[in-house]
Order: sequence, then structure tokens, then C-alpha cells
Amino acid sequence: MASNKKYWKSVEELKDSPIVETLSKNEFVEDISTESFLGDKETLENSSTTRRDFLKYVGFTTAAASLAACEGPVVKSIPYVVKPDDIIAGVADWYATSIADGFDFANVLVKTREGRPIQIMPNKEANGTTSARVQAAVLSLYDEQLRLKEPTKGGEAISWSDADKEIAAKLNELKEANKSVVLLSGTMASPSTDKIIAEFLVANPNAKHVIYDAVSEDAAADAFKAMYGKRALPNYKLQNAEAIVSFGADFLGDFHGGFEKNYVAGRKSETGKMSYHVQVESNMSLTGANSDKRVVAKPSDVVFALINLYNQITGASVSSNATPIDGEIKKLASVLKKAGSKGVVMTGINDVNAQLISLAINKALNSEILDPNTSLNIRQGNFKEVQALVSDMKSGKIGGLLTLNIDPSYSLPNASEFTEALNKVDLKVALSVENNETVNAMEYVLPASHFLESWGDTHFSEGNYGLVQPTIQPLFKTRQIQDTLLKLTGNSTSYYDYLKSFWSTNVLNGASWNKALHNGFFTKSSSTSTEQLADVSIADAASLLKKNTKASAMELNLYIKTGLGDGKQANNPWLQELPDPITRASWDNYLTMSLADAKVLGFSNPVKDNGAINGDFAKVSVNGKEVTVPVLIQPGQAKGSVGLAVGFGKTFGLKEEMQVGVNAYPLYTNANNIQYGVSIEKVSGTHKFACTQVQKTIAGRHDILKVASLKEVTSSADPKHSWNKPAFVSYDHQEVEAKSIDLWDEHNREVGHHFNLSIDLTSCTGCGACVVACHAENNVPVVGKNEVRIGRDMHWLRIDRYYSSEVETREEAKEMGLSGGDLYKVLETEAENPEVTFQPMMCQHCNHAPCETVCPVAATTHGRQGQNQMTYNRCVGTRYCANNCPYRVRRFNWFKYNNNDEFDFNMNNEYGKMVLNPDVVVRSRGVMEKCSMCIQMTQATILKAKKEGRAVKTDEFETACSSACTTGSLVFGDVNNKEDKVAALAEDKKAYHVLDYLQTKPNVVYQVKVKNTNEA
Amino acid sequence: MSHYEAPIREPLVLGDKSYHDITEDIAKPIEGTANKNWYIAFYISLAAMLWGFGCIFYTIGTGIGVWGLNKNIGWAWDITNFVWWVGIGHAGTLISAVLLLFRQKWRMAINRSAEAMTIFAVFQAGLFPIIHMGRPWNAYWVLPLPNQFGSLWVNFNSPLLWDVFAISTYLSVSLVFWWTGLLPDFAMIRDRAVKPFQKKIYALLSFGWSGRAKDWQRFEEVSLVLAGLATPLVLSVHTIVSMDFATSINPGWHSTIFPPYFVAGAIFSGFAMVQTLLGIMRKVTNLEDYITRIHVEYMNIVIIVTGGIVAVAYATEFFIAWYTGSPYENYTYLSVGAATGPYAWAFWSLIIFNIITPQLLWIKKFRRSFIITFIISIAINIGMWFERFDIIAIVLSKGHLPSTWWRFEPTFVDVGIFIGTIGFFFVLFLLYARTFPVIAQAEVKTILKSSGEFYKKRREQGIPTKPAIVIANDAGLNDKSNKE
Repeated sequence: MASNKKYWKSVEELKDSPIVETLSKNEFVEDISTESFLGDKETLENSSTTRRDFLKYVGFTTAAASLAACEGPVVKSIPYVVKPDDIIAGVADWYATSIADGFDFANVLVKTREGRPIQIMPNKEANGTTSARVQAAVLSLYDEQLRLKEPTKGGEAISWSDADKEIAAKLNELKEANKSVVLLSGTMASPSTDKIIAEFLVANPNAKHVIYDAVSEDAAADAFKAMYGKRALPNYKLQNAEAIVSFGADFLGDFHGGFEKNYVAGRKSETGKMSYHVQVESNMSLTGANSDKRVVAKPSDVVFALINLYNQITGASVSSNATPIDGEIKKLASVLKKAGSKGVVMTGINDVNAQLISLAINKALNSEILDPNTSLNIRQGNFKEVQALVSDMKSGKIGGLLTLNIDPSYSLPNASEFTEALNKVDLKVALSVENNETVNAMEYVLPASHFLESWGDTHFSEGNYGLVQPTIQPLFKTRQIQDTLLKLTGNSTSYYDYLKSFWSTNVLNGASWNKALHNGFFTKSSSTSTEQLADVSIADAASLLKKNTKASAMELNLYIKTGLGDGKQANNPWLQELPDPITRASWDNYLTMSLADAKVLGFSNPVKDNGAINGDFAKVSVNGKEVTVPVLIQPGQAKGSVGLAVGFGKTFGLKEEMQVGVNAYPLYTNANNIQYGVSIEKVSGTHKFACTQVQKTIAGRHDILKVASLKEVTSSADPKHSWNKPAFVSYDHQEVEAKSIDLWDEHNREVGHHFNLSIDLTSCTGCGACVVACHAENNVPVVGKNEVRIGRDMHWLRIDRYYSSEVETREEAKEMGLSGGDLYKVLETEAENPEVTFQPMMCQHCNHAPCETVCPVAATTHGRQGQNQMTYNRCVGTRYCANNCPYRVRRFNWFKYNNNDEFDFNMNNEYGKMVLNPDVVVRSRGVMEKCSMCIQMTQATILKAKKEGRAVKTDEFETACSSACTTGSLVFGDVNNKEDKVAALAEDKKAYHVLDYLQTKPNVVYQVKVKNTNEA
Repeated sequence: MSHYEAPIREPLVLGDKSYHDITEDIAKPIEGTANKNWYIAFYISLAAMLWGFGCIFYTIGTGIGVWGLNKNIGWAWDITNFVWWVGIGHAGTLISAVLLLFRQKWRMAINRSAEAMTIFAVFQAGLFPIIHMGRPWNAYWVLPLPNQFGSLWVNFNSPLLWDVFAISTYLSVSLVFWWTGLLPDFAMIRDRAVKPFQKKIYALLSFGWSGRAKDWQRFEEVSLVLAGLATPLVLSVHTIVSMDFATSINPGWHSTIFPPYFVAGAIFSGFAMVQTLLGIMRKVTNLEDYITRIHVEYMNIVIIVTGGIVAVAYATEFFIAWYTGSPYENYTYLSVGAATGPYAWAFWSLIIFNIITPQLLWIKKFRRSFIITFIISIAINIGMWFERFDIIAIVLSKGHLPSTWWRFEPTFVDVGIFIGTIGFFFVLFLLYARTFPVIAQAEVKTILKSSGEFYKKRREQGIPTKPAIVIANDAGLNDKSNKE
């Protein structure tokens, strides 16, 4: 219905006055004289612009133009059109999932913010543990550089459907031609994937599945199979052990992972029950560093010592050789015999016979610690099959090769042979998360999803199942390996459905899928009990072992470093920058050499004027292969042996900064970590190391680091006068405890929360997971090798490593008649085979903080809850606070570390920035930063409790480092809540403050390191 | 002003100067043109200064990371240079204020330049606290300015804040004191100036000095009051600078003898720098008659005394470091550890330049030798730089936790900025030497006994006792009309 309403603006308009008509025709009442002004040339010329006017115009236009140019950068944030139910801006979502990338296996929790995974933590309910590598895996998700982004064929993009069709067709051709096809994968430890592969093999009878692990545990798996009939790795219940003797098994640093929790659980001095751990090894490993006693021997001697121990324990006399450490072995035998079924022997020697002997010793001891029933399904690689595959490829027998997320072209000892042989394969398909040399050599490249984008399941040890669930939509056009395999098998179900039905039929037994998914793990009591099947002849094993052990003047022990592991995450800046726990060198691998050998061969590590360490290059030749590596002198390295880490020297596709170290895989002949007949020659050149610590010993300053023996700790002596002496001062001519006197009136700290962090030096294995967790939580920048080298690493949390010296105290040194410079030198020189202590060091949050008083602008102040707070916005960067910090934990932003091409790490690209924690600001250049005791986490906990209308629960407070700490060394909490674990720990008889004599009254409390020096 | 000077004392002005001679001598560099040497020196200094400014801009544009500092050593050349320059700035006020109060007439020949040196040195010193900041554009936050950032205020506990007050007070009082002394001299230049522009400038600078008796009276009063005000500053500035270290907890810094020891060290280094500068200036600007051996000797005596205090302080520090028996004191900058450690070269530089070399001045012949004094003064300048470097770098390089032991190596930027400040200093000083009356001629004239001494000498020699001017005029030596 049309409206008859009439709208009017004036009475005239309403009345239809003619003036309205006239006016509407003439919009401008007065004529604008543009025509006459511009049209008439004469007037135009006459109308002069004065100089002043001209300058005004110029000034105005310049100002206007420059103002218009001064637009701030615009970062667009787009609101959800339809908000997902489970994403609330500002609230983190946690998902339980698992990682199984072929090298690291763990049940983890993933923190996501606004749909982005930003942190990985151990799933403690599932007994999950995280290493530095697992923690850092979240950054590898955002590796824009290496992640494969779309399927390609011969380098050209191809659609998924075309790729599927073409590959399926080719597989069919090969099937018809009966030419063999090989699926080459790493260990996946995934039962559903195993089934998919089995189905693939059924569909393609010409196909075979070969498992290849870059770092091999073949020998252990084969020995276990020979002994117990199943190809798996033995599991050890170290928490119950009384005596642990390890022959080069680095079960804390590498081995199969996940032992540190149980190991530490068995070493609690407060219960008086502490295992006695002896490490017989040639390299200084993380495990050796944590042991009660380290017996140093070169690799061949370690092997013979193992046989000798067998003889000692069983009374047999299988063939062996005498070693310089036989005396120690005799003692160890009696220790083990005494421990009986509570004793255990482990070995990391990658020789099936050595592994058999180790299993036999455990059997002879009736060891309850070795538990064959819960054997580990990880590191299943079979190196012999891989080698057979390579020779088959060379002879052209292989028609098709599908690699599943592995890089043999980098990590095989005969990598070039493999890459060449690839040319003889008709169908080459790489299913891979990241680009690498192998992928580069393949025809079809099918990008796989990162585990944080994937579904999946795991079965790490018998009965312990885990689930993998996506925490983010795939960033690129990727598809899960399992989905691809299903497609190639002709199965049209999605992997998710497949997985769900697989679990409901095979795993869950009627239990809830949702609950299992929520928990991330599912435990099924395993009914299978593995009995020893075959009676293996140890005498034969020993003689074979003896034959294979070709003792030589110089022997090489290959190992893996805590940071890079097998090298899969070589493009991860967090891991590259993580200092090695033992050498504290980052961004490098190197030849570790004993001081004695270094002297003979002429190697040294001079400290330069800028504080950095240099090294000489050595040419290492073994089995006709040569590599040139820098040498780092390693205290505790066995004379006649050298160590070298694999996992470095990766170059393909990596950023230049990341191309560090030397690839040691070519020396990994027969996947054996021990290589005999090594020759070392000094070659010219100087290598620049990036070590974060130069001084190696405590220099007689024993109130920094306190170590006591189990005997002392469990004795009735007053710790204050024996093994945990606090600082005493003279006051009114009386010796009183330093903390009893004070210049100031104390604040009342009873009100509200008062945070403390307790660090148990006994439980800290130095693994570095906390360092990476801190990186992730607090957006700590990566600065690169050159900056770390000159002492500018930004780690808020570092793990200091101290070696013991031959003479430990000033008193001892004085008794020896030393004084002055000689005395210092003795205290500052590490012993040849030192004891090692790790000390995590971060801001101590002193209640009497020296940093707070000296800041001229009050940028660092004390919080009500005990935190020493840093106000970045207020900081002008005088660095006085850092100079006055006795713990030297403050870190200065020397440069702008974000959006700066000079520091091309994760903060310089859009993907890498997705890992940043939105709760923590990224610091600008020129300000000081340091550990905040994760104040964003404590505040979130408080707010959550407040919102839920309750008090904060006992032990609810966490920091990133304490959550990441698997061994429970770092315990965080509120000392005002007496129920909190930390409240008792702060008062413990083992508790002490570092640099107690300064009376800075820190809120970080250390627990004396206890060593079990009682020889059981 | 007039007072009795024993005739057996060495005269402070040589060459039988008349009042007019003094005027001529002092005005000559200003009124004449500069010689080639001046231009060479000036351009070298200017180049150094510009290079230093370039390094400063580079630092501010890129970050403190372009220096050689690291996580464990947060200060090195920056604060070393700061303290060194502040220390140099100490002699000026001491000479002009304290010696004025003690009525030491010999100060008159040197106080103007010493104070100029002070002010220029404090300029250099003042640069460092600003540019050593990570965010120097926020440097004004260290001032207690009322602001709208919230309830933000400076931290009065911080010695760095005390520095801000100490240095700015010192600079302003020194400047006022210096200028006050300059007024009659500027007026003298103004009165002699023939170029109108020059005349106008000096008229402005002289604040309308008219030379009336009232002017002189007020001049005397103000000088005395300012001297009284400035004297405590001589002690306070370096006391406060020393507190940057003394109030901290680093072994080697945390030391109660720092304030007096730093003050003595500052005077020590200040006098050395005065010796260096005047040694050059008296030659270049022909002021040999005004800056004489006796001046040099007096200053050398001050150097011996303050150097002695410094040496005793070193010995005390060394002894205490050993006597505590604390392992944390192993590596204080004066300790066995420092003498044998990686910084032994810096330690021994300090000992040789600062303790051993100045002992030569006990020998009167050396004390009165211009050339030896000059060499020793350079040695002391170097030694005092090392003192500060040792205190800062050695102490920080061996902190409490052995895991944090590190070393420092300067980059070209560190060196460039230091050289730049030296260049800047000399640019200012050279400009000053060409435009300012470098000797307080009005004051020097008060110690000239041209009438008494002149006639006495004449009588003794049996020469007719005519006034010098008349004789000079008679001899046709003075063509210009007498402007006195």
C-alpha cells in the first residue's frame, strides 16, 4: 500500500510556493566564479600568490601528506562468524593426545589458545613424560620453512584426487607385474595404523613393510626376541631398584625414553630408600652425570666388563678380556648380588650379544626390575631389513617405495647409496610432514599432517594405549598418512571412523570412547605373561661379542644429544638454542675427547677475550669414512675414546642459521653406536663454539651448591651444623644464623598467597624440558648461535652444570700448602672424572631483592605474593638490576628479537608467531626481562577459583617449569597454604637458599643434592 | 684582594708583566687568528667527535647489542667512561672553589681552564648514562617529573637516581661559578673588540659588566658564596658516583671505603688531566709566563697526596679481599685472583700507571719538569681509566655464581664512542681556547705587584724609577694607546 504521507521541509514547500521551485533549480544562490577565475587567463596571471601564501600552501600540503603517511600498522583481527562452542577468547583449552614421531613417544597434554596449540605438557595421569624435544614439537608444527604445503608430482602441484588415482593405478600395475613394493616407515607404535598397513599388504601381496629408525635399538629388540620371543624393548621398573648398573645405557638422556620418572621415584632420601646407581661408560652421558658412581672405561672395556660381570655374578667363565676396571666390576658384582632381585643391569651397547648377556645377568639375579610383561613397542626399527632393501633397490628389484615420514637420505650411514638406488625405483612416493632430502628425491610427495593436526592411537608398552587427536585444523593442504593409506587400499572410510571402530572392537571392550579421548590414554590389563622361551647360550654370545669387539687405540661412541635427538627437529630454533645439559654448548655437535687424549693430539679449547670458547678441528676416520668435526674437551670422557652426536649437520631446506654441526650418521656403520679402529688427526681451522657456561666448577663456593651423602642425610646429626649449614654471622659477638637478623621490619607475608618454588637437586636430571617449557610459555626469544656464543642467550631458566674438582674446598687446598692463584686454579679446574651436579637457576624472587633497590625508575618491584615483578613498559634499560643480581638471571633485550630479519627465528614469520602465548607480552628492544614465576598462570588460577567461588585448591598453582618437570624436582605452590607440598619443602631439613649469606631471602628454595655413596 | 706575598716565594707570574701585558697576552688568541696547529688539532678532534656521534646513533638505532656487553657483564666501557669523565671533572671545582676558600693564589692562572675542563668533561660524562640505556628516548623517566602515566615516580633508593641529581647539580653550579669568574674578562674583551658583531656577543656574554666598584664587590661576594656552595659538591659528586658500586652487593663493589677513595681518585685524575691540558696550552698559546714551574709543582703535590690516598685505598681493598677469607672475594678487582686471572693485564696496568708511575713525583727535579709531568699525567689518565674498567669489568666478570663467569671484549662501537667523547671534549676545549679568556686575567692582575716589585728591583739595580709603561712608551715599544 502506497503511503500518502507527504514530508516537507518548510512551510513554503508545503504550500507549493514558487520560490521553492526557483531555489531547487539554483543550488548555489550566488554564482561561483570558477569559470571567470580560471577561464580568464589575464585575471589568473594577475592574481598573484604571495611568497608567504606559497610557503603556507607548501607547508600545509607537506604536513598533510606526511601525516597521512604516518598511519600505524594495521593488524586485522577477524571475529568469528559462528563462534565454535569450545573456544572462548582468552581461555585455554587443553587436549590430551600423544606424540609418536618415530623417535619420541609420550602421552601429552596440549594447550590451545584461540584454536592454536601453543604448548605441550606431560599427561601426568597417563604417566606421560616430556623431554625438551617433545616440548618443542609444538613449534615444529608452525615450521613454515619445512612443512610440506600441498601434494606434488615431480615438483608440480597436483590435486589429492589425481595423486590418489595415479598412485593407485601404478600400485596396481606393480601388483600385476608382481614387482615388490615397500612401505618404509619409522616406528609408529600405533595399533590401528599397523592394521591399516596389514590391510594394505593384503591388498598388495607384492608389498612389504620395513621399519627404519634413524637411531637404532635393533640389538636390544633382537635380544629381547631371542630371550622372550617378542620383538620389543625391555621395560625396567626402576622405582623398585636397589642397585642399578648401567653399561653405557643413557636411560635418562635417550635410551627408550620415559625412565626418568621411575628412576627418580626410587631415589628418595626422605624414605631412606635410594637406589645405588653405577654407570659404566665412556662418554659423559646425562645418566652418568646423575649416577652415584661413574666408572669410566673405553667402549671395548665396557663390553668386556659386562662379560666379566656376567662371569662374576653367575660364576661362569665365558670368554672375555681383562679390563682396567675389573676391580670395580668385582665390587659391582657383590653390590648386585646383595641387591638380588632388586638389582638390575642395563646396557646401551648396540650389539645383540651384549644385550643378551645383560638380560642373562638380570635373569641370574632374578631381577624384578626388568619387567618382560610390559615390554615397550617403540623403536621397532630393523636395520638389517633396511640394508636388504637398499641392496634390493640397487639391483632394481623394488618397483615401488613409499616412505612414511622418514628421511633415510639424511640419516642412513649409506645415505648416498640409498638416494642413488632410488633412481631404480619406478614408483617413488613420500608421505611426509616436512620436506627433506628423501622427499626431494621422490616423485610423488604427499604432505602428511603434523601429529597436532591428526587422529591416531598409540601403544607404547603392553596394555598402555593412547589416543592422538587433532588440536588444530591442518595448516596446509595436508592429509594424514593413515587416510592416504586407506585411500590407496581402496577403503573409503575416513581414518577417524576407522580408528573409532578399531578401538571399540579391539581396545575399549565396551569402555567409553569419549572418556578415553578425554583422558588421552586407556589402560588395559595385559593378560599375556611373557616367559623366557629359548635358552640362549651365553657362552656363544660372549665369544661372538668378544670377536666383534675389536678393541683399538681410539674408539668412537656415537650418541644423541638432548636437544636434537635423531635430528628430526633440526629446524626447531628452541632445540638448537637449548644448551646441552653436559657441555652447555648450543647450536653444535662436536667430538668429545678426554683431556689426556687432547693433550697428546694437540687439541685445546681456549677461552677468547669475549668469553666464548674456540676449538680445533679433527678429522675422524673410521671404516674408510671421514668427517671433520670440532673438538670439545670433555671431563669424564674415557681415555682412548671419543664421542660424537648424531642428528646434526642437516642442511636440506634448513635456514642457514640452523645448518649447524656435522652429520655423524655416515659413521654409524651397521647402526652400531660403537665404532672401533678410529683415527684422529688434527686439521687446521678454528671452530667457534656457543657455550652458555665457561667456568666448570663451583670454585670452592659451597653455599651455592650443597651435596650430601645418603648416610649424612639419614643420620641424626643436626643438618645445620653438618651437611646443610646455613650462613652464620657475628652479631653482638655471637655467632647467629644470618637470617635471624635484619635491617628492616618484615612485611606481613601471612596474608594472601605467597609463592615459593622448590627445586630438588637430587631429582633434577638436567633434561632441559623445563627450559623449553619456559621458552614456550613466556615467549622467550631465540637469539641464534653468534649471540649465544658471546653470552647473550635469553633463557629465563637455565640449568647450571658444575663438575667437581680434585680438591673441593679451600681448607683442603690450604692443607695441601696451596695459596693465592694456585689455590684458585686447583679449585677451578675440574677433575678428570668429575661428579656432576645440575642446578636449575632462574630468578630467585628475593624478598630482599638487590635488583629492586637499584632501578632508578622502579621498573622492578616486589609483588604482594612474593614475586619479583618486572614492568617492561617502565624499564629504560640501565642494566643496573642485572649487575646487582647475584644469580645473574636477568636477561637484556640487546636487539629487537621479533620482526627482525637479523634474528630470523620463529618470531620473524607469521606461522612461527602463532606459537606465542597471548598471555605474555613480547618484549621490546632495550628492556630487561626475567622469570616472572609465571605470574600469568598464577593469576589465571586465582581468577578461576574466584569465578568458581572457591578457595584455590591445594597444589593447584603451577608454573610452566614445574608442570613440565616429570621427575617432580620443581615444585611450585603457596607456602601460606600449609597443605601445599611446597610449604613443607620450604621448611625441609634439606632446604637451603643459594647464596644464603647475602640474605636476599629468595622465594626459590633448593633441596640439598643427595648421593648414595654407600656401596649398598 | 691585596695581600702580602713573601719575596722569597717564587713569583706566580714571570716576565715582569705589566697589567697591560697581561691583557695583551690573554686577549691575543681571541683577537688574532688561529695558527695551523690549532686547525689540525681541531679537525682531528672534530673527526673523532663525528665518528663517536655516528657510533652513538648506530647504538640508539640498532640496540645496545652493538656493544660488547653480555648477560653477565651489563656495564663495561660505558660506565667506565662515565666515571672517568666525571672524575676528570673534579679538579676544576676543587681548584676554583676549595683553593679560593684557602686563598691559594696560584689557582688563578689555572682555574679558568680547569673549570672549562670540568664542564666539558661533565658533558662527556653526562652522555654515557643516557646512551647506555636500552631505551634512551625514555631517559627523562629518571627525572622526578609530575606525570600522567599514573602514579609513577622515580625510585629514590636507586644510586643511579642520586647520580642524576649529583651530576646535574654539579654541572649547573660549576657552570654558574665559571661564568661568574668570566664576567670581568668578557667585559675586557668586549671593551677591546673592534668588530661590532664580536663586541655585541661579548657584551651579551659579560652580562653588562661595567667595572664599577659595586660590580667588583658583588663579584667578590658571589664568588665566595659560590665557592662555599661548590665545595661540598667536590665531595658529593664522586661520593655518589661511588655509591653506584658501594651500595650494590657485588664482591669488590660492596665496599665502605669507596666514597673517600673515589673522591681522592677523582681529584687525582682531574689534576692529571689539568696537567695534560695546560702542558699543551701553555706552549700553544704562549702562556709560559703565567703557567709556571711553580704551578706545575703545586699541582704535582696535590697529585702525590691524592695518589697516595688512592694507593692506600688499593692496599686496603687488596688486604680486605684477602683477609675476609671469603671465596667470593677471590676475584675482586684488587686481589690475587685479579692479578693472576684473565684480566691480569688490566690489573697491572692499573698498578703501574696509577701507583708506581706517580711516585716519580717525589723527586723535585721531576716534579718541576714540564715534560716529565706531562708524561706522568698521561700515565695517570690511563691508570685512572683502568681503575674504573677494573672495578666494573673484573668484578662483573667474576660474579657470585661461577657458572656466570664471563669476559668482556669491546666492539668498534665501544671504542668509537669513547674516542668520540675525547674528540668532543677537545672540540669544545679548542673552541674555548679561541674564544674565551683562558686565564682569569682580572684575578691574575691582583697578584701582580707591578708597582712595588718593579721599583724595588729598579732601585736595587740603580736604574731610574719610571713606570714601566712610560719606559715602554718612551722606547716606542707600545704603539697602541694604553687601554688600561
